[in-house]
Amino acid sequence: MSEGDGRELALDVRDLGVRYNLNFTKRTTLKGSLGSMLRRSREATTHFWALRHLSFSVEHGESLGVIGPNGAGKSTLLLALAGILQPSEGLVDVRGKVSTLLTLGAGFEPELTGRDNIDLLGAFLGLSRREMADLVPSIVDFADLGAFIDAPVRTYSLGMKARLGFSIATAVQPDILLLDEVLGTGDQVFRAKSQQRIRELMTTARAIILVTHDLTYVTEFCNRGMLLEQGQLVFQGDPAETVDVYRRRVAERKLLVASDAQRFAVEPAR
Amino acid sequence: MKTSPRAAVPAGPATARRRPFGTLREGIHDLTSRVRLIRFLVGAEMKRTHADTAIGTLWWILDPVLQMLVYWVLVAVIFQRTTPDILLFLMSAILPWKWFASTLSEASTSITSRQSLIRQLQFPKLVLPTAGACAAVVSFAFGLVALAGLYILYPERLSLWVLALPAIAAVQFVFSLALGIFLAAMNTFFRDVQNVLRHVVRLWFYMSPVLYSLDQLEEQPVAQNVLSLNPMAPILDGYRRILYGTEESVGGVAPDWLPLLGVLGLSTILLALAIVAFKRAEPAFARILS
Repeated sequence: MSEGDGRELALDVRDLGVRYNLNFTKRTTLKGSLGSMLRRSREATTHFWALRHLSFSVEHGESLGVIGPNGAGKSTLLLALAGILQPSEGLVDVRGKVSTLLTLGAGFEPELTGRDNIDLLGAFLGLSRREMADLVPSIVDFADLGAFIDAPVRTYSLGMKARLGFSIATAVQPDILLLDEVLGTGDQVFRAKSQQRIRELMTTARAIILVTHDLTYVTEFCNRGMLLEQGQLVFQGDPAETVDVYRRRVAERKLLVASDAQRFAVEPAR
Repeated sequence: MKTSPRAAVPAGPATARRRPFGTLREGIHDLTSRVRLIRFLVGAEMKRTHADTAIGTLWWILDPVLQMLVYWVLVAVIFQRTTPDILLFLMSAILPWKWFASTLSEASTSITSRQSLIRQLQFPKLVLPTAGACAAVVSFAFGLVALAGLYILYPERLSLWVLALPAIAAVQFVFSLALGIFLAAMNTFFRDVQNVLRHVVRLWFYMSPVLYSLDQLEEQPVAQNVLSLNPMAPILDGYRRILYGTEESVGGVAPDWLPLLGVLGLSTILLALAIVAFKRAEPAFARILS
């Protein structure tokens, strides 16, 4: 599908909203949620909109840097684009293969060897035996763990796990690359190598969405910026300008901390 | 990272309210398209259990033997039951019960124990409780080695009816998989489920013909009738008939096929309902497990 200027869209988001039900968030128990169901009449809301009324699109060749304070909905946005979270309202239209580089390495089975974990994650990704046969050597090679690749993952250091996770996550060439704060992984040598890999992926991907707190990445890697605050789009445009807007708003907010504290006192606890 | 192209996703309620048969077909496709993943998950589970013990996999055989001895002390020594060949009598039902109980506990926590993965990857969650149930099959199969060993003590009890075991096991698998899938979804919303389940399974154990047989309840017809409504009763009775026989007949006899077919029919319906319920709940998992 093409827009007015004839450029192709890689990603189209219309009026996206993702709502969390506070009754069922992590480690709730029956007692807790029955309690809050009973209290519903008194308390105004049991739902929390992590994202609301968000519309934007990304064209081919664009790389979009998403910034914003903690809890702005940046990670939720990536989860929704990756298809892991289903939108509560609105539309997410992703045209092509999506890769997500989220918190890598958390899904490893500690008792399995690195090599077995590659197979396992490949199966989770729905890759066929033949696809895996092609990919495994390059993953093993890139992770560069030496003899540890055939040792149980529980013997790995955090850095080694991150290296293996990065190697698996970047093994498949995606059409749309989703990045979440992964540019600094492992030791100096591996960091240089992984940045090189990211640059390669960036040149082959049709579009990139990068979520980060490091504002220099936005100006360095992205040709468009987007600022989210409290689940809403505040600004989008030139990356440097977006960073400027963000910095200004952060400075302003420091003055508003007192009134913020009041606001949270009224809303139900997260 | 996701590798399959994805079409536009309409708002939540529209996807959730699809027709039940479409949802069921989707759920079955989730499983048939990910057989390889289920196999890997079962393999991972095998490596995880007993990986930290000295004799490792030997525990799969030793565990039911020790359990049998504990119940032997209870039934034969304390309650002075005079059931002939009591070790085989007990083992023929303890083994499948252990399988049933471990299927329910494995499957019910299969979603909640993998929350970090669910927040990272998009995959059909139905494979998790199914893989849990399949892993339990493997440990049951190891337990059968212990059962086979018992026939050295009671060779006259062994008959060709042993070959009917896969048929009865299949009925049990469908029944416990249905419950497991349902519990996995429930436990994601309410962690209480896994706590309550422990006690329910315990009570269910005593209400099932494991330490006794329904024939032994002849003087209590009411209890006998009530307990025979338990879907596990025909299953356990079936195992005992083919593996042990009855107190009168020495050696395995034919199981009661009719009640088993009834349980199979009920379990198939339950499984379909469980898959539909699970698929309806699935979109909420990633949101809840934050």
